[in-house]
Order: sequence, then structure tokens, then C-alpha cells
Amino acid sequence: MNPTNKTGFWLLSIVLPLVFAACKPEQNHYTPTPYELRQPSYFPSKNNIPADNPMTEEGVALGRKLFYDARLSGRDGTEGIRSCSSCHHQENNFEYGTPTNTHHAMLPLINLAWNRTGLGWNGGVATLEDMVLAAVTSPVEINADTNQVVKYLQKTKDYPELFEKAFGSREIAFINVERAIAQFVRSLVSADSKFDRYLRGEEQLTEDELTGYELFCTEDGADCFHCHGGGGLALMTTNLFYNNGLDDEFNDPEDRSAITGSHWDRGAYKAPTLRNIAVSSPYMHDGRFTTLDEVINFYSEGVKDSETINPLMHHVMDGGVQLTDTEKDQLKAFLNALTDEHFLNNPDYSNPNH
Amino acid sequence: MKEMQFILMLCAAIVTASCDKPVDYGNVSVGIDYSINGNHLITDSLCYHNEAGNAFMITEIQWFISNMELQNEQGEWTPLEHREVDNLLSNPTDKIFYIDTNIPESQTLLMAPIPVGHYKAMRFTFGLDEDDNLSGLFSDMPESNMFWPEPLGGGYHYMKLNGRFVDADNELIPLNIHLGIGQNANHTEFYQNYFIVEGPIDLDILESKENLILLNMVVDNWFRNPNLYNFNEFGSAIMQNQAAQQALKENGQDVFTWAVFKETNEKDMKKEEIFKKLRHIMQGAAPKPHYWRWENVKKRYGIDKGQDESDK
Repeated sequence: MNPTNKTGFWLLSIVLPLVFAACKPEQNHYTPTPYELRQPSYFPSKNNIPADNPMTEEGVALGRKLFYDARLSGRDGTEGIRSCSSCHHQENNFEYGTPTNTHHAMLPLINLAWNRTGLGWNGGVATLEDMVLAAVTSPVEINADTNQVVKYLQKTKDYPELFEKAFGSREIAFINVERAIAQFVRSLVSADSKFDRYLRGEEQLTEDELTGYELFCTEDGADCFHCHGGGGLALMTTNLFYNNGLDDEFNDPEDRSAITGSHWDRGAYKAPTLRNIAVSSPYMHDGRFTTLDEVINFYSEGVKDSETINPLMHHVMDGGVQLTDTEKDQLKAFLNALTDEHFLNNPDYSNPNH
Repeated sequence: MKEMQFILMLCAAIVTASCDKPVDYGNVSVGIDYSINGNHLITDSLCYHNEAGNAFMITEIQWFISNMELQNEQGEWTPLEHREVDNLLSNPTDKIFYIDTNIPESQTLLMAPIPVGHYKAMRFTFGLDEDDNLSGLFSDMPESNMFWPEPLGGGYHYMKLNGRFVDADNELIPLNIHLGIGQNANHTEFYQNYFIVEGPIDLDILESKENLILLNMVVDNWFRNPNLYNFNEFGSAIMQNQAAQQALKENGQDVFTWAVFKETNEKDMKKEEIFKKLRHIMQGAAPKPHYWRWENVKKRYGIDKGQDESDK
């Protein structure tokens, strides 16, 4: 090798790495912060957070913004705009609070990170991500075109950057809208009612509340616990499906039997959580009751027998559990102890755009 | 002195060698099934009568079995524990199994390998004993759905057998045979209603095989012996009826039968394969699609004579 070649060799050995370095793809600075979901010790240990949508601080924050943003309609106000929060009110347990024109009443959006039996009254929606898609496109809900939603959000000043922080790309895809809102909904944890404080040994229930709890969880009492949990099942629901004796004829094509195909699921619907039940009116899948008193009276005296009533409704031959007026008041006192004011007023769950 | 040292070293070497002797282990799994009057259980079908003459149907059976053990020829008991942490069922302890007719996977219990050899007896606890039956033990469903309210004694239902029966007025009404801790009228005294079942087995655990045990709940026996259990007498719900709990506890002693499946099964069968195999054994021998008779299963598959209905 002559001196010229030697010089060339050294030059090449310096220049080539520089060239390769320049050609190296741009470093991706997408590093979202993992979100730590609150996990009360007496809640289930298994959740439904999908592997392809881990919760992150950025994802939850984006989901919260979208949840409260009517731009999720993908159209302007002249055509009528809605967001998730148009119907899901924090002060009403993320339900509407009064009857709506949807075909079924709403279910509360709380503690759904631990729901593993499908969503909706018949459990037909597998994931929260799917539920977002269903709600955004339903003609009786947001009634939006997902392509239009993406187009609309892409044009905004704020969203592309927020999507980049949460999902690594300024290009908005509707799947990431679903993921973000699902993350926010999974973050909605209610575990600070008076009954929670009782379970944690922090506060005693009143005598009436305690008697109400005993009625709640005894077969000879009001017998609520088999479907709605209690101290040993603190979500206050099994998240399973029951025909609770509301009717003796069944015409709803979207009850649980629509999912299972089983005749024995006619008239069966998901047992909703009783957390914050006092602020979750209207009640039952069709919203037929507007007060807790009506609900208690139904279980006490109005249960109807049918071929498919769940066997757990064993008081049906008496028309219900036959509570006295005092017992009804005590049961109601316990149900009121399930109200979680901290959750209903938690600023972390409120509209971030205010 | 040197001789003494040599002897000591020799002894140490022998002891060490004997300690190093490897123990071979074989897999074992337990398939759960149910029979009524000799036929395979059909749920949601009003086709059964108990000894007291009540017509009834069963919707579901959900229950706990715990502390299963096998006894070898030397009289030592070997516990049967979970082989793996199950993705579906959340058992926080190794020796408690939740079984549910609504969850087919729950009816195949895969056990951790146990030492090879001959086992002559099996025992287990129906339900959960005082040491295991602790409120809050299970935080996840389906087990957590079995919780037994604190005012009634706490812990978990040992069993929920739900269905319907035809009452004295000829009405089809709910039937909830729920077993757990009993209590007096004031809920100031509580009664343990679990029980231990023990009986002979003829089981050779082989290293190279997946050894299968079939455990059958003879549902009609809950209502037969020694107490004639009449649904009209005890009613639809019995969580707060210790007399009913006691009667069922006594009747439960002969509710379970078991046998060993001798056909060759290769080691390292996948869970799905074991499950399929057990389903096949239990249902494949049926003269009609939904019926199987224990005797037919034994004849067809060469199942060993175990404790079963015909022995009684």
C-alpha cells in the first residue's frame, strides 16, 4: 500500500462511520410513562388491560381529553355534536342520570378495569376499545364517521402532538382514539365509599347501615349478595348475567340469550355494580325505575316468575323477599353507604378542558 | 486414628450417595364428572327424581375440593397440588381447586408430578377446612363469587348446586343447595360443615405416563343416605338452615366415587389433550349422546375397579 492509498484508507475509515451515522434512522423519542392503576387490596388481582394497550400517563390524559371533547363527533356544531361526556356524567357514576333515547339504560363506567365478562347489558362487547368504536358510531349515541373523526382531529393544533406522546405518531389512527379512551375509562376507580372505609377498618357503619348490610347478604334477608357481591366481592357485582324476575314475557332481542343462544338466558342481563347506585338512576336494563325505593319495592314484592328466572331468585314464589318498611329503610341506608363522593368529585376524572 | 478417619469418610460417602438417589416423578391429573341415578348429568333438564320423590333439575354445580392426597404402600400421604398457575382460575394456594359445570376447563385438575410407585388410598376435603376457609382468600372470580357472607360465618361456599324442583303445590321453584359454614339463629355460633372423604385406590404412578384419575360426584347420593332429604321439607334455600346443612354433610360421605384410567397416555400431554381425553372417556362410552353409565365406562376403557357405585 503506497502512502496515497494509506491516506485514502484512513480518510475512508473516518468518513464511512459518519455517513452511516447520518443514514441511521432518526431516534424515536416516544417514551410514555407507565400509568399506575390504583389497586385496592380487596379488589381483583386480574384486570382486563390488553397487552397491546398498556396504560400510560399520556394515554390516559389523551383519553380523558377525548372523552370530554365534542370534536369526537368529527363534525361541527351545526350538525349536533356530542362527546362521551354528553351522556356519561361523572356526578351520575358516569351514567346519564335520567332516561335517555338509547335502547337500553346505561351501565356505570366504573371499575371496568376488572370486568372480564364482556361489556353492555348482554356482555356482547368484548373490550372497552370495541365499546368506544360502538359508541362513536352508534346512530343513537355519537353517530360519527370514524374517518371523519380522524380527519377532524388531525387538523387540530393540539391532538397530533398528544397522539405522538401517547402512541408515538402524529398520524392519528382511530384505533388509537379507541385505545386512549379505553385507557381513561380503565382509570376510573371507585373505592372510597363509606363501605370501603368500613372494609378497611377506617370507619364504622351506623346501626341501620349494618343491619342493612346483614339484610343485603343473607338468604333469609334481602338476598342481594349472590349477584351483587359484598365484603368478599367488593366490586359489588359478579359481573355475571341473571334473569332477576322483572318480567314473565321476553321480547328483547338483545338480552343475554342473544349472545349465548341459550333459551335459559332469556330475560337475563348483567348485574350492574351497586357502587354509587344512589346516583345511578334510572335502574334496570330498560331504566323502568327512577328511584331506589322503586327498586327495593320490586325485589320485595314485585318479582315475577318465569321459566327462565334465575334459580338464585328463590323468593319468587312469595313475589319477592318481603321486607318490612323498616327493613327497606335499613337496606337503603346500606345502599347509600356505597356512594363514593371522592370518586364522583375526583378532579382527575373531570373535564380537563375546563 | 487414621482408620477411624477412613471409616468416617466411608460412612459419609455412603450417606451422601444414598441421599443423591434420584426420585422419579410422574404426572397425574383428575377428571371431574357427575352422575345422577347412574346417568351422566344433564343440566337444565327436568328429568330427575330424588329418593324423596321430588322432581328436579340442575342448572349448575360450583364447588371446592381441597387437600387431595394419595397414600403410598408405606402409609405416607402425598399432597396433590396444582401443576401450574392457571390462567383462568386464580387459586392462591396450591391445594384448593374450584370446579364449575359452567367452566369445562375447571373440571380437569392438573396436578404437580408426584413420586412414582403404587398408591393405595385417596382422601380429600369436600369444601374448605378452617385453615383454608378465610374471607378474602380469593380476590378474583370465579372463586370470589363463591364468598360466604361474614354474618353467616364468612369464607366461601363449599358448593352451590342450583336448579329447580317441583314443590308440593306442583310449582317449579328454585333450588339452591348452598353448603358452607352453618350458624345458629342469632349468628352467634358457627358450625364447620366441610367433610373429609377417604377411600381405597389402586393407582400406579409411572414416570413416563400421564396418570388419570376419574372423580365422580354421584349427585343423587346427596339426597339419600343416611338422611332422606326432601326439598319440600328444607325449601329452596338453606344457607341459614343448619339442620339441612348437617343432613347434607352426613349424606356427602358416599357422594364421591373414583377410579383409575389404565390406558396408556404419553407423558407431557398438553392440558387440552388431557382435557379432551377425559371428556372422551366420560362421554364417549355413552349409549346415547348425553348418557353414560359408570359401568359401561369401566368396561369399555378397562378402568380399574375402584370405589364406585356398584361396590356399595
